[in-house]
Amino acid sequence: MSEFPGKQVNTAILEPWHRTATASVGLYFHFIRLAFLKFLAYRLRYYTGVVSYTVFVSGHYYLYTALFASRVADAQGATIGGLSLSEVITYVAVSWIGRSFYFNNIARDLMRMITEGEIAMQLIKPFHVQTVMMFEAVGESGFRLIMFTLPIMVVIVPLFHIGGPPDSILYLWTFISFCLALVIYSQINFLLGCLAFNMKNIQGVLRAKMVSMDFLTGVVVPFTFFPEWFQRVVEWLPFQGISYIPVTIYLGKRPGDELYAALLLQVAWAVGLFVAGRLVWRISVRHVVVQGG
Amino acid sequence: MEALIKVRDLTKDYRLTRKREGVTGGLVDLVRPRHELLRAVESVSFDIPAGQMVGYIGANGAGKSTTIKMLTGILTPTSGTVTVGGLVPWKQRLQYTRHIGVVFGQRTQLWWDLAVVESFRLLKKIYEVDDATYERQMKLFDELLEVGKYLHQPVRKLSLGQRMRCDLAAALLHRPRVLFLDEPTIGLDVLAKENVRIFLREICEGEGVTVILTTHDLGDIEQLCKRVIIIDKGRVHFDGKLDDLRRRVGRQVRMTVELRDSATSGELASITAGLPVVWEEIEGLRHHAEFNRVEVPGAEVIKRLVNELRVSDLHMAEPGIDEVVREIYRQSGREAS
Ligand SMILES: Nc1ncnc2c1ncn2[C@@H]1O[C@H](COP(=O)(O)OP(=O)(O)OP(=O)(O)O)[C@@H](O)[C@H]1O
Ligand SMILES: [Mg+2]
Repeated sequence: MSEFPGKQVNTAILEPWHRTATASVGLYFHFIRLAFLKFLAYRLRYYTGVVSYTVFVSGHYYLYTALFASRVADAQGATIGGLSLSEVITYVAVSWIGRSFYFNNIARDLMRMITEGEIAMQLIKPFHVQTVMMFEAVGESGFRLIMFTLPIMVVIVPLFHIGGPPDSILYLWTFISFCLALVIYSQINFLLGCLAFNMKNIQGVLRAKMVSMDFLTGVVVPFTFFPEWFQRVVEWLPFQGISYIPVTIYLGKRPGDELYAALLLQVAWAVGLFVAGRLVWRISVRHVVVQGG
Repeated sequence: MEALIKVRDLTKDYRLTRKREGVTGGLVDLVRPRHELLRAVESVSFDIPAGQMVGYIGANGAGKSTTIKMLTGILTPTSGTVTVGGLVPWKQRLQYTRHIGVVFGQRTQLWWDLAVVESFRLLKKIYEVDDATYERQMKLFDELLEVGKYLHQPVRKLSLGQRMRCDLAAALLHRPRVLFLDEPTIGLDVLAKENVRIFLREICEGEGVTVILTTHDLGDIEQLCKRVIIIDKGRVHFDGKLDDLRRRVGRQVRMTVELRDSATSGELASITAGLPVVWEEIEGLRHHAEFNRVEVPGAEVIKRLVNELRVSDLHMAEPGIDEVVREIYRQSGREAS
């Protein structure tokens, strides 16, 4: 190779490359800020969101009011599935307010990245794509909290006379629980997105997800309205940690240690799904076929 | 000196699904999909010492991008080995990617929705570039690529040439030791191309960066790379100096001669009698002479001409390297058959 004398080079280049430590935690926090900035550029989109969420909640409001009126002569004081009418309305309002916070499109974004080959640009960077996406989701939710969740609360709470939780400390626990919900939701989405590594048609998966996810999380209908067997099944799934657990915490349905047990369950799912995501990613990337170029 | 980049028997197969025809075919596909292997890269081997700039060229679909994707750790090869600075790209991706810079001309690594400067700030964090180095690099990029003008524009609003310059700067911010460029001048106008070439020469030669560059613009190669590797259908057909390549192909040159007094091609041919030179008349005073420089010394042709005729101008054109590459393909085809 002496026929191609390289230029005089920095001798450091010739030293063996050391195994450098992987990206620091500080880096990942930077992604929170970036995601926040990114969504700020699209903030107009969220004003229409406020309207559509209010419409959703109104729909449920009238639906449940009518349901209670038809089921029991005296709607006041009656319960269905262990919830009174005002509790059901609160359940719906809080779960949609929560959804406005934890929602993201990681599955769709990741699938698009994989099918269009953009994933290549992530793989050439010294960071964990999964962790980056997680932190971006946190940034997005931070943005949503201010630009979306708060406006929705300002509209919905007085409109439907939504009361506070039985104990004001539950405000805090509900918020913490929704933060854990964000992690669970993101990681489920991440795992779904990874399906694009092995599947050609992912549109179907996305559509199925759209339909079933809100159902399984308990956003659409409280679990207690369902038959016993259904409730027993969802108890073993991670989805209840996304909406059902935080909302029932808000309603004060988890007295004493049950509150901590519920939060711990959320933590366990969050960690478990994160680890699963890391494993699936590691296996999938080995078989990745990047399109284009 | 040990090579920085070592590639041995690198092979990549893509699995293609062959669709059957018709409705029944579609149903059969669901149950038993038909797969076919496409060998995009086949037993590619080469060594590149530190500080060298290598042109990796070949026709569309030759396997250039596939090779680059394996060298950058994006794709896992079907077989063969690659080590760069002792690391295996697809196995030690996180450590490895710290040391390399990558530009895929067709894509951007900048954050699409954000101002360019945000991407640079993020890259600074990602690669843990210290403040002093960051400032120095940004100043350099502004001098050579004029990226300063675009720093506060969102990436999606940049023109292709502007974006490419920013992408190059982004790939070099952390002063990588190895740079992989897959068609870095694609879609650029002549001036922008020239800027990019000058930039690459300054940065890479100055800092001793090892570069592998693919391109369809052979001007890139001529200006940047002393060494070329030519691949076709996934196999290496030539690996050596650009000059050797020209010599091996034979140097067919074309000389344009302008005379003061008109002469016919026949008269000119008699002057160069004994030398395999083909004359062609363009117009009374202008003629083309084609000959192979290996067989015919150009100086001899010129000497004979000026002795016999009054020559007002002489001009010699080297073959473009694309002709050279075509010739290599042709020769290898002949050897193979
Ligand atoms: N993701 C993929 N799936 C299946 N086949 C692929 C894929 N990517 C590339 N190929 C095939 O592999 C071969 C080599 O492709 P590659 O992109 O490496 O070529 P290239 O030399 O970069 O070409 P170009 O100059 O057009 O960019 C081609 O025949 C191509 O069709
Ligand atoms: Mg290519």
